[in-house]
Amino acid sequence: MKKSKTNILNMVLAQKEIGAVLPLVILMICVLVVNPAFYGSANIFDVLRTTAFAFFLAVPVTFLMASGGMDLSIGAVVSIGGVIVGQAMRAGLPIWLSILLAMFGGCIVGFVNGISIVKFRLPAFIITLATQYCVNGINSVWTNGKSITGLSDSFKNLGQYRLLGVVPIPILYALIFGIIGWIVLTQTKIGRAVLAVGGNRDAAYLAGINVTATQVAIYVITAAMAALTGVVYAARFGAVQTSIGSGIELTTIAAVIIGGTSMFGGVATMVGSLLGCLLVSTISNALVLMGISVYWQNLIFGLILIAALYIDRYRQKIINS
Amino acid sequence: MSKEVILEMRHVTKKFPGVIALNDVSIAVNKGEIMAVCGENGAGKSTLMKILSGSYTSAEYEGEIWINGEKINMANVHTAQENGIEMVYQELNMILTSSIAENLYVGHLPGKGQKVDWKRLYQGTEEVLEKLKLKVSPKVQAGYLNSGQLQMLAIMRAVIKNPRIIVLDEPTSSLTDNEVEILFGLMEELRRKGVAILFITHKLDEVFRMADRVAILRDGQMISVYDIENVDNESLIEGMVGRKLDKQFPKVKAEIGEEVLRVEHLTVPSPSVKGTNIVEDISFSLHKGEVLGFGGLVGAGRSEALGAVFGQLTKNVKKEVYIKGEKVEIKNPRQAKKSGIGFVTEERRLTGFIPTFSICNNLTICILDKISKASFLKKKEERGLSQGMFERMHVKAPSLDSKVVTLSGGNQQKVVLGKWLLANTDILFIDEPTKGIDVAAKAEIYTQICELAAQGVGIIMVSSDMQELVAMSDRVVILSNGHVTGEFENEEITQENILKAAIKEEARVE
Repeated sequence: MKKSKTNILNMVLAQKEIGAVLPLVILMICVLVVNPAFYGSANIFDVLRTTAFAFFLAVPVTFLMASGGMDLSIGAVVSIGGVIVGQAMRAGLPIWLSILLAMFGGCIVGFVNGISIVKFRLPAFIITLATQYCVNGINSVWTNGKSITGLSDSFKNLGQYRLLGVVPIPILYALIFGIIGWIVLTQTKIGRAVLAVGGNRDAAYLAGINVTATQVAIYVITAAMAALTGVVYAARFGAVQTSIGSGIELTTIAAVIIGGTSMFGGVATMVGSLLGCLLVSTISNALVLMGISVYWQNLIFGLILIAALYIDRYRQKIINS
Repeated sequence: MSKEVILEMRHVTKKFPGVIALNDVSIAVNKGEIMAVCGENGAGKSTLMKILSGSYTSAEYEGEIWINGEKINMANVHTAQENGIEMVYQELNMILTSSIAENLYVGHLPGKGQKVDWKRLYQGTEEVLEKLKLKVSPKVQAGYLNSGQLQMLAIMRAVIKNPRIIVLDEPTSSLTDNEVEILFGLMEELRRKGVAILFITHKLDEVFRMADRVAILRDGQMISVYDIENVDNESLIEGMVGRKLDKQFPKVKAEIGEEVLRVEHLTVPSPSVKGTNIVEDISFSLHKGEVLGFGGLVGAGRSEALGAVFGQLTKNVKKEVYIKGEKVEIKNPRQAKKSGIGFVTEERRLTGFIPTFSICNNLTICILDKISKASFLKKKEERGLSQGMFERMHVKAPSLDSKVVTLSGGNQQKVVLGKWLLANTDILFIDEPTKGIDVAAKAEIYTQICELAAQGVGIIMVSSDMQELVAMSDRVVILSNGHVTGEFENEEITQENILKAAIKEEARVE
């Protein structure tokens, strides 16, 4: 009897997404008790929009973690995406070209990261920390640390438009990217190769998978998507703030791990990443509604991440035994 | 010289699941004696060493260890050291970023409390270095030494602890002739001092030159112990091999066709020793339907040769590869696969399968192109192919979706072999096909190998299992020290011939 109980527990814990679902459910019940205002439609959309921004980045980061990679420069690249698009438009370039330039800028950073890590075998943590500093430095120098304002309405609309007057447009973007990400991860050769590389790089290499190209491409795409996120942020806030992305890499990576993508690589879930992002934005929103100081956010958030890491560890152990 | 027994092993038996590594082994070593221990791969030498070193505690095996007339209860490696046993392993466990002096005295740096007496440390080291005729400062990082020098240092590290018994595991394999002379001088000095030396070696000339007695291990049994005056080369080799083949080999000779692979002038630099080659200008060919065995001692360069042809090892590799008579460039495994070569590596866990993947996904990892269209996976087709291979290989697992890591070694190996069978290559390299797997799985792997050969696949099989090599190969090529030292066909494929070639010394190229 006792044994079957632990079996059920193990089965539940073996579900990849459990790390996000469980606290999410608990949190939602707490909020319901303390402040039902959470469930107002305006607030719900607010939470979903925050989720959308987080998920935007979580899609490529899910691939990155699946391949066993790590990138701390994401936040800085989000910032520079905004800076590039802002400066480009200020210089009179059309919106579409400015956005492409921003993404191209991201690609360069991603390429430097990818080549350094994959080809020259530099430790991902340190090299992406270094590029983070470089990119943040470029941001500050280029803008003198000042915000860029006076963006055109048609650009702002890219982030502020509401479908049918209600649904914030970033939610639609996130949905599209999420679906594409899910398809690529689960239904294509590319996704399979990424997971194989993350699961066992050497075995994947010997099986004839182009490991180097796969890994570098992931770093490049991640950075390009980060830059694009910066663009949407700029549109959403109607201004470019040079430090908009700071710290975003950790919350994103945390959301992805909480969602059930393994920090060791080789296991990934796009649905889990969505849930992880939902959890993160629900926490910050709920804390405000429950009247808890925002200063508590980091602590609570950190604790949840620690719990997620332990669950991930435990899950690996179950899988391997 | 008085014959005073210093070390005695009594009726030692060590079992592993499915294998008896040491079977009722008794041996007595005298003070001031060099006892050579000979035996081919898997004879039980390393198990013997692990028991003497205390890597296995007394509880993990049957039998007794006596030192100086006292029964020893091995609790851990410290017990062995406290009783004066020092081991020198072949793998160099040196801290390459620390100084020579620190390496030499690691674990017992001179000094009081936490304070190191650097003066004494360096002085002691200098004396040692002088003895080794090494002109280098004690403060130099160990990483600057070459592998021969490191080996000498490892030996001295054991010697300066004044052991009563010292175990040397193939100490000369990475030494130059000059270094060998220094080592032998050192061994003679130790012998005069009354130290007992267990000298594990494959090189029979060294046995005859240095040893007082020689013990022969085979299949975990102590076959015989000879005084060196009463034995010759032939009887040593006979003792090491004289094994009967049993009937677990379903070998069916396939029709051997035209040449499918020819490798010429293959040179592979040693991964550990700069400036030397682990494979030195070898050439070989493989035919359709042929099982070509690669024999030789562990470390002879067999796996490296295959890895280099396959594009796994590339750095400073020189090779000419012809497939069906046409010259091909193979710079990485992808190109090897395209050229029709598959490679089942020795280290399943490290390079064979993706632990996070199911059996199904592991089986199809080499044929992602085949099971996808415009990158979209055709999962039905994938499952069908996997299911077929799963059944063909008789993989014992709850389902196709089980993770490969959860399977037994034999079933893991079936999956790894199966993934290359699905890739349908004309040439298959298999490195130690049955290492660490159970008898039933072995038989199935052998059946598959024969079936493949019958289908016309050319197979190169590296094997350290002598029976397997003899029974399964249509032809064998023997490597020793990176050179081809023998090639045998049909009835020439005998254990004696193989072993003789495997221990043949080629001049080491500096």
